[in-house]
Amino acid sequence: MLCDQAPAFPGRKRTGPERVLVELRHRHLNDHRIHRLKFVFGSSAVQALDLVDRRSVTLISSPSGRRVYQVLGSSGRTYTCLASCHYCSCPAFAFSVLRKGDSLLCKHLLAVYLSQITRTCQQLSVSDKQLTDILSVEKTQEA
Amino acid sequence: MAETLRRVLNLGIAAGPGKNTAEAEPPLLLLGGPGSGKTALLFAAALEAAGEGRGPVLFLTRRPLQSLPRRTGPALEPLRLQKIRFQYPPSTRELLRFLCSAHEARGPAPSLLLLDSLEEYLVEDPGSQEAAYLAALLLDTAVHFSHRVGPGRGCGLIVALQTQEEGGDSGNALQLALLQRYFPAQCWLQPDAAGPGQCCLRASLEPGGLGPREEWWVIFQPDGEMTVTRWPTQAVDTSSHKGSSSGGQP
Repeated sequence: MLCDQAPAFPGRKRTGPERVLVELRHRHLNDHRIHRLKFVFGSSAVQALDLVDRRSVTLISSPSGRRVYQVLGSSGRTYTCLASCHYCSCPAFAFSVLRKGDSLLCKHLLAVYLSQITRTCQQLSVSDKQLTDILSVEKTQEA
Repeated sequence: MAETLRRVLNLGIAAGPGKNTAEAEPPLLLLGGPGSGKTALLFAAALEAAGEGRGPVLFLTRRPLQSLPRRTGPALEPLRLQKIRFQYPPSTRELLRFLCSAHEARGPAPSLLLLDSLEEYLVEDPGSQEAAYLAALLLDTAVHFSHRVGPGRGCGLIVALQTQEEGGDSGNALQLALLQRYFPAQCWLQPDAAGPGQCCLRASLEPGGLGPREEWWVIFQPDGEMTVTRWPTQAVDTSSHKGSSSGGQP
């Protein structure tokens, strides 16, 4: 369900890479599809699959029903990805996606979408107050 | 959220059967220069949504409205006014705090989230990642409210942003391009030929790939009264570029 909204900026027509992700939603990853992912997303695909393999994606939810993803990056830093729309707190998202606009995703967002498909997210329940802190802390993560 | 605004703008014309707005609509960015009536339209949208018999309307703005706009479409019924909850986050930090903790609030979830003068919250913190996080959090908060409201209803989102004059620096253009990625539906308010004492604006609604562009004239009389008339051509040629002002008067 999340993937319906997630891969695109809202309401936009989906681009080729986004279609690849949406198609994947109904199927499983196999060698052929992994090959396609690598073709479309380049090195990000390999790194994202690695993050999924290491179960680095955690879906955090609170009793309110609000949710957010956290991804433990290869450097050991944790990045926050919003569950409802296209946002990651990592420097690559700020630079390549937002500023230069030459990529659609960072490896963390791709890892979130892939772990939704493969249903390999870790799950963590926190209090409403703790979720507020997680969302608030995000802003202080500097590049 | 184009539908709420469309209904506001169509009020001067025969009110057709209210289109079912159950489907969550994409968030809408209301754009215009200084004094182009953005606040008046936002307030009219708040009144419109408050009359729908759904949840309250949440109106975020940095400072209280100077005055309630006159005849902004729906009547200023006290019952409608009571359903509009104003919040005045004084700084970007406070706005972020409000959005991050929106899920802690009790009571019925809003059916419409409005933010006026986004530019005032962006000047403090002009980095592109901060602007993106603010936009993304606004969307995330509206999605969370939609989740609480329940399936098939949803919480809309309309954000007003003051655009720069021509020749503004490239940072502003970059920021606008960034925001447009998060807000696919946009309504532009542009000055048009005005009569004596009047302020006449042209409102162009681009619903973000969900239909053709529509246009209206929005006229503010010297006493502040707002009247809206539909742009003469019903089927607007979507390929014609906005801003090609014909200068005609209704």
